[in-house]
Amino acid sequence: MTPFEFVEPASLGEAIALLDPDDVSTRPVGGGTAIMLMMKFGVLVPARLVSLRRVEERFSRIAVEKDGSLRIGALATLRSIERSSEARRVAPVLADALLRLSNVRVRNVATLGGHLAHADPHMDLPPVLASLGAELVVAGPAGERMLPVADLFVGYLETVLKGNELIAEVVVPPQQDRRAAYVKCTTRSADDWPALGIAVSLAVSGPTIRDARIVLGAATDRPVRLAAAEAALAGREPSDALLRAAGDAAAAIELVSDAQGSAAYKRQLLRVYLGRAVRRALAAGPGAGEARQ
Amino acid sequence: MTTTISPGGQVGRSVPRLEARAKVTGRAEYVHNLRLPGMLYGKIFRSRTAHGRIRRLDVAAARAMDGVQSVITAEDVRRVIPDPYYGPAFHDQPILAIDKVRYVGEPVAVVLAADPHIAEAAAHLIVAEYEELPAVFDEREAMTSTAIVHEVLRPAGTFPDLKHLEGRTNTNIALDFHLRQGDVEAAFAAAEHVFEHTFRTQQVLHVPLEPFVSLADATPSSVTIHTASQSPSFVRIEIARLLRWPENRVRVKTLHLGGGFGAKLYIKLEALVVALSLLARRPVKVALSMEEQFYTITKHASTFRIKSAVAKDGRVTARHCEVLWNGGAYADIGPRVTQKSGFTAAGPYDIPAVSIDSYALYTNLPPAGALRGFGIPQLVWAYESHTDLVARALGIDPLTFRRKNLLRNGRPQATGTIMRDAEIEAVLERLAARLDWNRPFDRGAGPVKRGRGIAIGFKASIAPTTSIASVAIHADGSCTLSCGTVDMGQGSDTAMAQIVAEVLNLDAEAVAVIHPDTDVTPYDMATLGSRSTYHMGNAVRLAAEDARDKIAALAASLGLPPGSNLSLAELFRRKYGMQAGTIIGTGSFIPSYSPPDHSTGLTENATPFWMIGATGVELEVDTETGHVQVTRLVNVADAGRAINPRIVETQLSGASIMQLGFTLFERMNFDKGQVTNASLADYKIPGMHDLPLAIESEFVPAEQHGGPFGAKGVGESATFGVSPAIANAIHDAVGVRLMALPLTPEAVYRAIRAAADDPLGEA
Repeated sequence: MTPFEFVEPASLGEAIALLDPDDVSTRPVGGGTAIMLMMKFGVLVPARLVSLRRVEERFSRIAVEKDGSLRIGALATLRSIERSSEARRVAPVLADALLRLSNVRVRNVATLGGHLAHADPHMDLPPVLASLGAELVVAGPAGERMLPVADLFVGYLETVLKGNELIAEVVVPPQQDRRAAYVKCTTRSADDWPALGIAVSLAVSGPTIRDARIVLGAATDRPVRLAAAEAALAGREPSDALLRAAGDAAAAIELVSDAQGSAAYKRQLLRVYLGRAVRRALAAGPGAGEARQ
Repeated sequence: MTTTISPGGQVGRSVPRLEARAKVTGRAEYVHNLRLPGMLYGKIFRSRTAHGRIRRLDVAAARAMDGVQSVITAEDVRRVIPDPYYGPAFHDQPILAIDKVRYVGEPVAVVLAADPHIAEAAAHLIVAEYEELPAVFDEREAMTSTAIVHEVLRPAGTFPDLKHLEGRTNTNIALDFHLRQGDVEAAFAAAEHVFEHTFRTQQVLHVPLEPFVSLADATPSSVTIHTASQSPSFVRIEIARLLRWPENRVRVKTLHLGGGFGAKLYIKLEALVVALSLLARRPVKVALSMEEQFYTITKHASTFRIKSAVAKDGRVTARHCEVLWNGGAYADIGPRVTQKSGFTAAGPYDIPAVSIDSYALYTNLPPAGALRGFGIPQLVWAYESHTDLVARALGIDPLTFRRKNLLRNGRPQATGTIMRDAEIEAVLERLAARLDWNRPFDRGAGPVKRGRGIAIGFKASIAPTTSIASVAIHADGSCTLSCGTVDMGQGSDTAMAQIVAEVLNLDAEAVAVIHPDTDVTPYDMATLGSRSTYHMGNAVRLAAEDARDKIAALAASLGLPPGSNLSLAELFRRKYGMQAGTIIGTGSFIPSYSPPDHSTGLTENATPFWMIGATGVELEVDTETGHVQVTRLVNVADAGRAINPRIVETQLSGASIMQLGFTLFERMNFDKGQVTNASLADYKIPGMHDLPLAIESEFVPAEQHGGPFGAKGVGESATFGVSPAIANAIHDAVGVRLMALPLTPEAVYRAIRAAADDPLGEA
């Protein structure tokens, strides 16, 4: 790794001022878990890193707003979200997903903003947040704008953010009676990058699935909404046959082959895990967190 | 040899590791932390071509970079080491590539700088151009390939049994080993059944969490090498040979090792840092990154074709084994794996006629050497998978079939060596009892099926090898042990201290153990192949007994009656008139051994002792995804009499977990010889969440005659059975047989679909 300049501005505004969309040699850094790997491999050789560690404390806060939404500062560590009772109250699926996200050493330093902005399709929270309908507060030189998490990703390691825009906060809307689950499937060690991850958020009326939001991660170059599976489930009562049909509908999309498995195998995993994820969401119940494994 | 336990009771006690506190409080010393005044860092520029003739090497830009002290190529190395080829079995590996490169990642040049980051940045500026040569990667293709990795074979002169290979050309076979016992052809002709299978293993890595690191401090007349090495004595001898210096001008020191597993043996970075330090006239350190470990030493991929003749009654009457070892671009210790493990390829069975052909092959991949088991896990994977397949085909219970054919004490192994102190039967029976094999087994319901499997393997000790130790008694009666065994985490410091303490009636915790320093500690062949407890243990015991005899002689010389309880300090005081003096006891050990006949591989004395390990597993297979969850892993071994029972148990569990990774998912992936997953982010090793729900490890009551206090080595024994036991259990659960490692979920799922005549497409 080559030496580089490390600056630690005291405010998000200062940090934004230090960034320049035309200067790729200056990059923002949160916990640094992803960027350090890229630098060690020599695929990223920045001259200057702008650390966000010292920016205003509110960008690390996790709070439930008056309207019932969950507001998470982009600098909140994954571990702090995992342990937050506020986060658990609004979206218990976050803590569940975090339990099996990498390992505790990574979660202790990795930040939510970095986790999203890195745009590695193998990340676990993008599909989860997208399925919850979460939005981002994006800060730039001209002020703030709102952006749905689902619209953040353009492709592998690519987002719609400009070089001088930063994710400031993540807002998860109130989930009312929706039930959510995330299942991930690894094919090597348990802490490996997932072969696929499926996030499910269901609105349920009695025995019927009123509405389903299903987002697939890891098996494509960015999180993808599984619209065909959602349509197959909407207005129906779950049964083994229905879940199989939904799995088959989901598996029609194009997947990528990689070290975690061939596309053909991942299609099979998608078929199977889709039903498992829906079952898990149904079992989760609204609002209540699942017991830790 | 007597095996009476003296009143000390130090042997057989689970003494907590002597270094544990220093390690967990961060006080333990490692070479990685060592910095010397004026030291330079070396950064290696590596080949990106699998096989090519070096046409141009342009180091001008690197040399011109600010802060770069120099850039060193093979030409420079030759100024201080005229014939810069090294290796334990073949002198085939150049310190830096000469004329051609043979694998992606081979060191070609080194940048030296006081700042390691500058050295690294400058290394990126080096440009090499190669004339691409045809490359060979697969061991089966290497047998007949026209792509030749080495133009001429260069066996090391020290081994008489390799002399016949000298100067061979136009071959990738570095060594061929053959064993012929009984009339194999006749037995096959007469057989009721013949079974033949081919099994494969993948190339994997040791992954010590401390990567390779060496530091040399050379003057024109002497050199000190600080290195994370398992074989300091070998390093001294080999460096002395390369420099044409006497051994006493080469000093090799090691500290704690952050894991070794067979990676840190022989010469790795040591010859390079010596050359660099001689050229730079400054101390030079080279510390590899995790990624660079993938370009240094690996475990052999292998292809094993095994064929058995079986009589009507289920007795195996003949077996033929053909094993191809993918040694990569340099032989390292591969030829010894081929030979010294190859002769057990027929397994721990009593088979009257056996033929074995075992081949060490050069390919254009990173070199392969010793990795916890020295080739045995590859062999057991094949012969124990085969054993189950044969039992299944004959409709015999796998345990019954093994019992029927088991090699028992007093019977000859394939080499003709009569088995002694090899508790194969006791280990198998204990495993069966622990698994409650006769009890009906729950096979699961729905998409999750359950299965169970067993496997047993054995290993000979590398022979003959020497260990020497000395024990010093100081004037106050305190005691220091000097021995060259490297404690790389296996607990040898503690075990050796226990042996000294047992003989001298001390507490093990009171014995100071000096870490290897070839100026101080006597010769030891190396810390490898689970040899230390037996060989060094014997030397240490003899040294302690020698010290004890000298203490007795000192007491007698002072006119004291035998058995006098005068303190040691008082003895010294009476002898020397003050607190002064030292008693030094020495011990030297080499076991008896008869080399195998060159043409038949037969010998009456193949090994000083046998290691036995068996593993049983219970597991669940998710038939919809192929995922395997091992619910219970049981290891049983013959470790002789345990010096430290707790450490023996953790050696067993640790070895089995390591092999679990090699079994289920570890694999080096390649693209035209380039490793594509050279990092811990992409090469996964088992973590806590990957452990079986239950792991049980035990050793059977046993005694190794000739071992120190009846003990023998145990560091590898629990690697033997893991892979085939899991494959056998998968077969038991879902009726499919996997013939190649690793047993990934995708491989299992594909096999399930193929068995249902509905194969999964490739893309």
